[in-house]
Amino acid sequence: MPIIDVHAHVGRWQFHLTCGDADENLRLMDRYGIDLQLVSASEAVVYDAVAGNAALTKELASRPRLYGYAVVNPNRIEESSADLRRCLDSGRFVGAKIHTHYPGRLPGSREMAEAFDVVAEAGVPLLLHTWGREVSQLPDMVAARPGLRVVMGHAGGDAWREAAHAAASCEGLYLEHCRTAADAGRIAYAREAGVPVERMLFGTDATLIDPCWSLGVLRDAGFTPAELDRVLWRNAAELFGLEVPA
Amino acid sequence: MSTSTTVEYDRPPAYDWLTPSPREQVGWDVDVLYGPWPRHHRDASLAEVHRRLDRSPVCGALALSTRGPLFDDRAGNEETLRDLADCPELLPVGTVDVRDAMTAEDRLDELAAAGVRFLRLFTVEQAADPGFPGYRRVVDLALARGMVLLHDGDPRRYGPPLMDRGADVVFLDLHAYLLADFLLMAREEPGFRVTTRMLSGPDSVERVVHAVGARHLVFGSRTPFMDISPLTLRLRYADISDDERDAIATRNIEELLS
Repeated sequence: MPIIDVHAHVGRWQFHLTCGDADENLRLMDRYGIDLQLVSASEAVVYDAVAGNAALTKELASRPRLYGYAVVNPNRIEESSADLRRCLDSGRFVGAKIHTHYPGRLPGSREMAEAFDVVAEAGVPLLLHTWGREVSQLPDMVAARPGLRVVMGHAGGDAWREAAHAAASCEGLYLEHCRTAADAGRIAYAREAGVPVERMLFGTDATLIDPCWSLGVLRDAGFTPAELDRVLWRNAAELFGLEVPA
Repeated sequence: MSTSTTVEYDRPPAYDWLTPSPREQVGWDVDVLYGPWPRHHRDASLAEVHRRLDRSPVCGALALSTRGPLFDDRAGNEETLRDLADCPELLPVGTVDVRDAMTAEDRLDELAAAGVRFLRLFTVEQAADPGFPGYRRVVDLALARGMVLLHDGDPRRYGPPLMDRGADVVFLDLHAYLLADFLLMAREEPGFRVTTRMLSGPDSVERVVHAVGARHLVFGSRTPFMDISPLTLRLRYADISDDERDAIATRNIEELLS
């Protein structure tokens, strides 16, 4: 059965880790049987969105198993809006990525609202880094932009309870649970809160985090085979319009 | 919305990771708790901990009741010793409340008399900085009794004051992001160890093994509050020898117990 990883990165990080070019992503994908991976450039996330997106475009050109997220910097919205269009025109990007920590903008800020407008207008799903109780503002932000679909990367992090209730209340919100600290019961809590399995996605945060971390969380979550089929790839294929090998 | 494509390549057998393998076998998990915890939405009884361990590749664990760190250290230690008396797969860990270090000597004598070798410090829950007098007093008394410290908190803060003291310390909260700082300390401190709980980088385990040796790593999951499978899978797929894997999973703790 296929696997689609909707949350990964290409490039180096500032920590004592081996992270390099996109071939490292492919090596880890092969190890765990991951077919397709949706990646953003670490350079674009932590440093220079436009330069990082451009570098990622080159990496994607020769690696058909990788698809890109164009990073949008809420602090430079005009520049990022034009860059998002450029990336999507390349045919190798399938969504936008917005971080909150590095640009220092949270849901609720004017800048983040403008960034949501840009992504909604582009008509692609948004992978949003979520970490903290401000996730409770997301249902209103998504409802105000019909058609927008937001993947809550890390499922709220330490605010996973709030994230579960936000997702349960809004059909445009999806949960993706990658995180180093694998708090037990997060997925069960989300399901009990009312998040349908059709809005749960598999992400890894590779190559920052080894994919086995998220695979292990799924193993402990006790999904049925049919549910695993949805979470591991079918939901992602539908959301991003992707095809995988039969 | 997006492009679509069909990808052709040799896909390995999928979902191998779904079934535990012998390479995930763990002899001792050093980070197991049971009992009420107000920050969690459900408590975890000892029976629930047993259930989780029974369905995992983990054979044994060092465990303690949450009563000790959160409410009453003396009663908590007594509860741990009583509850675990008849289950040899769970070894009791003691604790001392660093907020009441005036009584620490009595608590440690009680633990030593009961044969408890591991002392777990909850500096995060008990809001103790490394320079606080109570914390320093507890550490002095524990090291004087040859106890192994199971230590929470940021190793960059708690590690330096523990150096040059011949201390056996297992850091429970080392994140992969902080690995370089730990390795710098471990080069000089043979007794400094770290659990695998948050060494989530694709090569974090390998970096410890290659830089300072497998003796500095032990398995710790924080069951039942954390999932186990991410950690056993990381050991299974780690690019290390079987001997190094066995040391991390079992032997390093057995050496401390002997």
